[in-house]
Amino acid sequence: MHQQTSFPERLSVPLRTRPRAGFRWAPLLLLCACLPLAAQTLRLGNPGEPETLDPHRYNLRLEETILTDLFLGLTTFDADGRTVPGAATDWSVSDDGLTWTFNLRPGLRWSDGAPLTADDFVYAFRRLLNPATAASLAYFMYPLRNAEAVNAARLPPEALGAKALDRHTLQLELERPYPYLPERLLYPTGYPVPAHVIERVGDDWIKPANWVSNGPYQLVDWQPQASVTLKPNPHFGASGLEPGAMTEVIYQPIANEQNGYNRYRNSELHAISSFPGGELPRVRRDMAEHLRLSPLLSIMYLVFNTRTPPFDDPRIREALALAVDREILTGPVQRAGHSPSASFVPALVSDYEPVSMPGAELPATARKLRARELLAAAGYGADHPLRITLRYVSGAETKRTNLAIAAFWQAIGVVTELHHADLKVHFSDLRQGNFQVAMAGWFGENNPEHYLGLWASDTGDVNYGGYRAPAFDAQLALAAAEADIVRRNALLREAEAIGISGFPVVPLYSVTVRRLVDPALTGWHENPRDVHPVRLLRWR
Amino acid sequence: MRQFAIRAALTFATFWMIVTLVFVLVRVAPGGPFDGERRLPAEVEANLRAAYHLDAPLPAQYLRYLGMLARGDLGPSFRQKDFNVNELVARGLPVSLTVGGLALLLAVCAGVSIGLGAGSRPGTRADRLLMSVTNLGIALPSIVLAPLAILLFSVKLGWLPAGGTGGPGHYVLPAIALALPFITAIARLTRGSVAEVMQLPHIRTAQAKGLPRRRILRRHVLPMALLPVVSFLGPAAAALLTGSVVVEQIFDLPGIGRYFVQAALNRDYTLVMGVVVVYAGFILTFNLLVDLAYTRLDPRIRLQS
Repeated sequence: MHQQTSFPERLSVPLRTRPRAGFRWAPLLLLCACLPLAAQTLRLGNPGEPETLDPHRYNLRLEETILTDLFLGLTTFDADGRTVPGAATDWSVSDDGLTWTFNLRPGLRWSDGAPLTADDFVYAFRRLLNPATAASLAYFMYPLRNAEAVNAARLPPEALGAKALDRHTLQLELERPYPYLPERLLYPTGYPVPAHVIERVGDDWIKPANWVSNGPYQLVDWQPQASVTLKPNPHFGASGLEPGAMTEVIYQPIANEQNGYNRYRNSELHAISSFPGGELPRVRRDMAEHLRLSPLLSIMYLVFNTRTPPFDDPRIREALALAVDREILTGPVQRAGHSPSASFVPALVSDYEPVSMPGAELPATARKLRARELLAAAGYGADHPLRITLRYVSGAETKRTNLAIAAFWQAIGVVTELHHADLKVHFSDLRQGNFQVAMAGWFGENNPEHYLGLWASDTGDVNYGGYRAPAFDAQLALAAAEADIVRRNALLREAEAIGISGFPVVPLYSVTVRRLVDPALTGWHENPRDVHPVRLLRWR
Repeated sequence: MRQFAIRAALTFATFWMIVTLVFVLVRVAPGGPFDGERRLPAEVEANLRAAYHLDAPLPAQYLRYLGMLARGDLGPSFRQKDFNVNELVARGLPVSLTVGGLALLLAVCAGVSIGLGAGSRPGTRADRLLMSVTNLGIALPSIVLAPLAILLFSVKLGWLPAGGTGGPGHYVLPAIALALPFITAIARLTRGSVAEVMQLPHIRTAQAKGLPRRRILRRHVLPMALLPVVSFLGPAAAALLTGSVVVEQIFDLPGIGRYFVQAALNRDYTLVMGVVVVYAGFILTFNLLVDLAYTRLDPRIRLQS
């Protein structure tokens, strides 16, 4: 077992060797030295404070991280982020792709020892979609039959397509074929919650004193803005899955990257989820064995407001898209290891070959020439330049990125005004269509539909630019009726080709997460989902 | 007594105005508590708004909030769904008070010592040296100083934690960073009044009598020279409490200042309101107490008002 000792050791050195100058602080230093990190304790920096640990009410990735340790869904992740059986040992799907049957592991138990049955899952899905729960990610389970109607209070929760055939068999019925269901069940929206506790204490079930969950760990303490402490669930072994080795896990919220970087270098944390991009060269040089770069399933892109001039004209959208040089952007401008992407669906999505934006393969000079021609055809030139406003989320890295984009556009004679706002304001503006061109990002699933769905005309306000292309919509609907994943993805690929030819967006890059991880930890594998369940971590 | 009643009523009116103003301002700010990067279908957003009574007209929301406030209930947090605002304030306030209290103690001890050292020998090299060093405290705000202190004492030397909570050591750097500008202020205040008091006839008499210098300073100079420092402590205490917003952010300390920043960014209406209510309560109370103390210490103030 690994002994976490560097912190107290480093503290004790100055006590022995430092001359009189520090004597006033000596008592305090001694007190610090008396609080060493326990041997099996794992301290992890989390990029912010969880807003809730109720798996049905969560909304943030940083909550997902903790919830993965606290609960076990029907499916779960392995160390490489692949979907593997969780609370279910196996499942089958009917030929029409509409009925899924899950066989649960025998001997599943909650952390209070109560048995966990298929009825608990039925209860959980009904609770998630019950409008009274006000779950912001309820729509994750809209593939279930009647889910949308239940969530909109048009049908009672009992009408949901989820039922227990017996204690160990769960049947899910879908609205339409959805071959990505096992993957969708990875999210906390698919986790069971303890009906027997919630019925007794109501919304207070989430307090550490009442806490009951079915994952490898349970919540024992939560100090807001300070720490979330987990201890092993003594009944997890009954599931037949291997329990975690850590006897205590402490998640600490990190207000900004620099804080986390400082605290990691001072051996206060065993892993941090990010550090300032500018430090990358120094980390590569001095702390190479701590550095973990992992490309994330994500796409950062520029979105055009296609509802209003000038971006209702596809020639202008194409011109601006052609002028952007992704290699320069992710290379000398950002230097953060992000991967340029000319397709909207990230290259990491499995069983799928993304379609690059037309013209992306041309050399830079040819692209610029073509862009100028398109602008001239649309009526813009040196004496009448195109003037636009580019919006982005405030931040040092985003500022550099967007300055570079403005420079690319300047090279084809476009005058760009930059406008930045904090995340809330930015996305609120985007939703309301209050922008011309803006930077946005989409993270998450290993499923091309997750990304392409953003261009569908019935998607609502996250189709920020109000893009409408009937041919694209028709192709997407065609894919949605297909139960076979290979044929479905082939149809989606055609949809992507149709969609991107109208330039609703400029795909820019896929994010690379830069972490620092204690080299003594094993089982920490880079994966495109960037998930690292504590259950799978061991000390070297 | 009547004076006190008027003062108290004015304080209460100010408090009500602050609450009303903040209530309006947080709702005027663009963006709402449920905006995020992820999609929120219309029915889901309607469910959320109904759950937090945001679907009611604004005047009704306002009256509802005042009613809750009168009962001492700061409401549920819109974003920290598993805690209500009372619970969050109850956990954050002790942290802020500890940092603020330590900083105040440090500011008084260090400030008075430096001021006394410099003021008792005005114009000497020691005086000039101490005063120019304390000037740095004004020139370097905590937002600059704190990260430098972290780099030196945590990252380079490894003596103290760089952030978070867990032990007394976690409070050392934040308290110093927070105290520095106040050390400077108190040192300059003390130096001025010590130098002034040193010129008074009874001090010269004591010196002529051959009393030891240390005894003169402690017995005769300090008590008189400290009066302006005491009157400075009221506003300073309030400023240290509110000033911890920046320091808590830099040191990842879970005080109410950190909640305030997070809540403002998240448009967590009730949490912003709750922290403002607590801050306003403290500042108004300190000011009221200082006003009362003035009238006790100096009869002229009572006559004028």
